[in-house]
Amino acid sequence: MEALLNEIIFLPIIHKVPPGRNMSSYGSIPLTIILMVSLVTAFFFIYGLIGWNVLLSFTKSMGLITSYELAGSIQYMKAGSDPVFQISLKNNLMLIMLFIPGSIGLGLLLAVLLDIAGSKGETLYRTIYLLPFSLSFVITASMWAWMYNYSYGVVNTLLTALLGRAFQINWLGDPNIALYSVILALIWQFSGYTALVFLAGIKSIPESQINAARIDGASAFQLYTKIVIPQLKPWILSAFVVLMVFALKAFDFIYVLTNGGPGVSTYVLALLMFRRAFFETDFPYGAALATILFTMVISVVVPYLLLSSRGREK
Amino acid sequence: MLNKTSLMTYAVLTILAFVYLLPFWSVLTTALKSDMEVRMTIPIVPPSNPTMMPLLKAFELMKQGLVNSLLFTSFATLFSSLIGSVNGFILSKVKFKYSNVVFLALSVGIFIPYHAVIIPLITVTSKAGVYNSILGMTIVHTTYGIPICTLFFKNFFDELPESILNAARIDGASDFTIYRRIALPLSWPAFIITGVFQFTSIWNDFLFGVVLTKGSNQPASVVLANLLGTTAAEWNVQMAGTFIYALPVVAVYLLLGKYLIRGYLTGAIKG
Repeated sequence: MEALLNEIIFLPIIHKVPPGRNMSSYGSIPLTIILMVSLVTAFFFIYGLIGWNVLLSFTKSMGLITSYELAGSIQYMKAGSDPVFQISLKNNLMLIMLFIPGSIGLGLLLAVLLDIAGSKGETLYRTIYLLPFSLSFVITASMWAWMYNYSYGVVNTLLTALLGRAFQINWLGDPNIALYSVILALIWQFSGYTALVFLAGIKSIPESQINAARIDGASAFQLYTKIVIPQLKPWILSAFVVLMVFALKAFDFIYVLTNGGPGVSTYVLALLMFRRAFFETDFPYGAALATILFTMVISVVVPYLLLSSRGREK
Repeated sequence: MLNKTSLMTYAVLTILAFVYLLPFWSVLTTALKSDMEVRMTIPIVPPSNPTMMPLLKAFELMKQGLVNSLLFTSFATLFSSLIGSVNGFILSKVKFKYSNVVFLALSVGIFIPYHAVIIPLITVTSKAGVYNSILGMTIVHTTYGIPICTLFFKNFFDELPESILNAARIDGASDFTIYRRIALPLSWPAFIITGVFQFTSIWNDFLFGVVLTKGSNQPASVVLANLLGTTAAEWNVQMAGTFIYALPVVAVYLLLGKYLIRGYLTGAIKG
């Protein structure tokens, strides 16, 4: 059964379909009912509610949650003139530009180190690096709120002890620094995941190729830069999509760690949507922001899903 | 035998491991310190006089939230896994016209930002009379779990050789019989993978909890986040709460980590 378990790993998302025969003539009523009811429910909750949300974004509120009037694109105009919207977009872009390469780079380094270390150390170290990824963002945000604490936090007190002189950075209180502190902590949380993906990629490279390169006299460095890492492309793409989607919809971690502060310096799109919809009860505007967020995520995900589903047919 | 390269590799891996574990260590030490000691010592120093007070206080504050989370997490994990098992079986082994399109459309549901459905979801749960209830949280988590659970089981059944089912088919067994007698018992590894993945994801959720519940129905994630907002000065209680809320997931991770890793490698997404 262990062999079966190993087989069901697959990446990218959908990679192949067995020759399976069409068995609908043997159709069974109980299974069909479960399938139909669950699909209708899931599609209603996914596509129905997304459609509802899009509709809502083209209305204006009449003061009550349940009564709206169509109002064209005024909610989208509102986004255009909302200064916090621009800051949020810029911060999402910063996540894309720093958090993604940071997580992929560190993940590659960890994966290569784990591969060199070999089976003995691999499991233990991989378990340690991946631990943060398994935890709730509320947990990791709470941990980093304490790590970054100005007076008592580990980061400042440890650096002070190591350097032998007072070292105090206001990690979460300085509007010029807070976003970088957030990104650093997120790289800590996600790099174990990227390492796991890349390590699985390295393991999928045929042993014979590695040996051939060794016989040709390739050094360890050449082996990884010339042979191994170029072959990780599909795995890097897969991790990239996961990180990209996260960079666009990041919410809980930032909500708990900085709540967008200090000021509005760490606002991101999902946090802005949450504040506008649920604190200021401007549901149509919140719906418009959610629609923008959804459009961005879907324009990354759908091409990737189509690409990987086409890949499996070849 | 250790040569120079692997010795250096291990040195780097070990240093990095300490860095990765530092936040966990500081949660543990702080959760066992008195208010006074939190202020007098630096967080990485272990408590000189360990006290259970912060843990007891945090547990008292989070008790209800933990019970709530445990209830809807368990039920939603069970229901979404069972539904995913049936759907995965049909989409993999029975198939119908457009089943690939249906599967692709369902897969999109794995990636959608829940922000795009959260406002209508308030209206839907209110109209259905399940807003601010454990039942409502169970329904919402079960439903949004269907895409990923279906994916896990479809993958599993895709790898199951047709020949295993063919003998039964020749004997004229219905798909339901084949599912119940053959596919379901064989799919226990998929149940473990799906189960641990769903349990940890639902336990870790914050958005549904913060929007769809209030007061005594709030899950532990929301209670802990509120704690950070209100008792920022009591870092030992905050870290004790963090420790308690993390404990079930850490336990699952340490005991069933290899199954959780299979789930992560399926390209699934957090958040």
